[in-house]
Amino acid sequence: MKLISKITFWYIVIIVLIMCLTMFTARNSIAKHIREHETQRLTAQNDSIGALLLAGVRDINTTGTPITITRITGNIPHSKTQVQETEHYNSHIGRNEHRLNVISWYQAGNDTYKVTSYNYVTRSYLYFSSLVWTLVWKLLLIAVAVVISGALLSRYLLSPFRHTMSAIKQFDITKKDKVRLMQTTTKEFKELNCFVSHMTDKAIEDYTAVKEFSENASHELQTPLAVLQSKLELLAETGIDEPQAKLIEEMQIAIEKLSRINRSLTLLTKLDNLEFKPSQIKFCRLAKEVVGMYNDRIELKQLKINSRMDSGIYLNIHQTLAEILLNNLISNAIRHNIEGGSIDLELTNSHLYISNTGLPPELPPDELFKRFRKSNQSAESTGLGLAIVKQICEVSNFEVSYDYHESWHHIRVQFNKEGDFKNEPRPDHGYPPLILEPA
Amino acid sequence: MKVLVIEDNRQLADSICNFLQGEGYVYERAHDVKTAEDKLLMFSYDCILLDLMLPDGSGFDILDFIKNKQISSGLLIISARDALDDKINGLENGADDYLTKPFHLSELNARLKAIYRRKKLEGTDTIIFNDISLDTDRMEVLVNDTPLDVTRKEYDLLLYFLINKNRVLSRQAIATHLWGDYTDNLANFDFVYQHVKNLRKKISAARGADYIETVYGVGYKFNANKV
Repeated sequence: MKLISKITFWYIVIIVLIMCLTMFTARNSIAKHIREHETQRLTAQNDSIGALLLAGVRDINTTGTPITITRITGNIPHSKTQVQETEHYNSHIGRNEHRLNVISWYQAGNDTYKVTSYNYVTRSYLYFSSLVWTLVWKLLLIAVAVVISGALLSRYLLSPFRHTMSAIKQFDITKKDKVRLMQTTTKEFKELNCFVSHMTDKAIEDYTAVKEFSENASHELQTPLAVLQSKLELLAETGIDEPQAKLIEEMQIAIEKLSRINRSLTLLTKLDNLEFKPSQIKFCRLAKEVVGMYNDRIELKQLKINSRMDSGIYLNIHQTLAEILLNNLISNAIRHNIEGGSIDLELTNSHLYISNTGLPPELPPDELFKRFRKSNQSAESTGLGLAIVKQICEVSNFEVSYDYHESWHHIRVQFNKEGDFKNEPRPDHGYPPLILEPA
Repeated sequence: MKVLVIEDNRQLADSICNFLQGEGYVYERAHDVKTAEDKLLMFSYDCILLDLMLPDGSGFDILDFIKNKQISSGLLIISARDALDDKINGLENGADDYLTKPFHLSELNARLKAIYRRKKLEGTDTIIFNDISLDTDRMEVLVNDTPLDVTRKEYDLLLYFLINKNRVLSRQAIATHLWGDYTDNLANFDFVYQHVKNLRKKISAARGADYIETVYGVGYKFNANKV
């Protein structure tokens, strides 16, 4: 619900409540005033007749007037004036009418006179209904006025807010454009804008710093490594003996590992920094290509590969990240496999399974995705492959899980965690362990 | 082949030039954009090695310069940044290949030769060494005029050996050459061993000479002096 709708709604509720309350007060007050004034008038009327009686006039003609004069015996009651309200049926209009009677007693000489006069007063419900009608109209008019003025005013008053919102939505950290916010005199919006521009400036600063760092770190480290590598290669050509050659090879292996770790850490930093823009790619074709690149190694290790890959699978992921993801997963499935083992591959719209035979993991499954955690402590591994897989899955909105079951390693990548692809319904049960029988 | 090495790191430039000299190439070196542009205006090169980060500018300035002056040399970028944008930008701006640091000099050699073949010989080239001949256009191998049934990887491996004759090729260098950047976490040395073994077997079966020697502890060497 929009803010202005909420304000309008509550405003109208408050108005209705107050109106109803005041309406009842108004009715009571009107009824009371009418009665009081009528009583005053009738009393005054009685008193003028009483004055005549006191002056000795006896033949007062009251025919046709609602006044009766009767001589009574006995004493004057304690209060000289009495007000009575009675109901009289009016056969002409077919309903009871409310009559106000004022009775006054006068002592004229030895005679006691009772003067009664009356008048019909409008019953309160009769004008109450007109009060209600007035109220309804008033309310309608107010409601319309509130809604229209609310819409117009909010357009004007909330425009800085709306502007700020759209600026935040369009803010793209990778473009490094500062957010431009609208000038405003509203205190709250001033504070909001101040906060937003401060936050975004800081974000851009941090982003740039991290980006520059990762690029520079890469350059500053890789160049000396390249120098080392080339020198060692030249050294290897200078007629060295076997133990020396062995030493050189070990150094070269260390250099390569260092360079790989550096590259992987840079990649992880870039992933953390969200420097990769996803785009729609044909994932199935890429998967086939990547698997094809490993064909020779699969054959050399005499692995059996069963792949079931659906076609026409489009995913929202950065091309290079998809390549790295597939490469890491498939190379893992080969490396952690046993001679003559198997690899099962399944790719559908909703998931990618890669399962392979292998020795049980030495680490608890949760640890596998952490940086520098290695199962079976393979010397060639940097221990960053699965950390990168996890990070890629995170930035691409995928979910990756691992399971070991009866000498099979299962890696499952669940696509579109948020369900932004509607091709296949997402299972609402968790992720059951996938058990694939060795073919 | 005449090569211009544009690299600001002098030690690395030394290594590269040392290697190129060993290969019998003619080379010149430039350590900044200014010198590089001067040299490019005055001389013509078959191939240019270009580092992207230079003290007085970016390698992309040189790429633009080369484009504007319509210089037709082959262009190999060597950069420490494997930033994807750089790679794609470089290739879109007229570079023929991109090599990330650190690299093996033998790999550099292979790439240079490949660019040279594509540019100068328009891809049609037959590499002949004694009884072995490689048709790089059709990717065919003949040993003693008999076609050899080799896989793509074995063909690549043989070509790599022929380009880097008499050099010790480490198993790492071979692995990187065969499988590229994604060799990350595989025990590639076993695979290198198997590929080399299969290739030698096939050449021997065709009664070719066994030029490929194992250099213990390091890797392999294509011994051209073997009779």
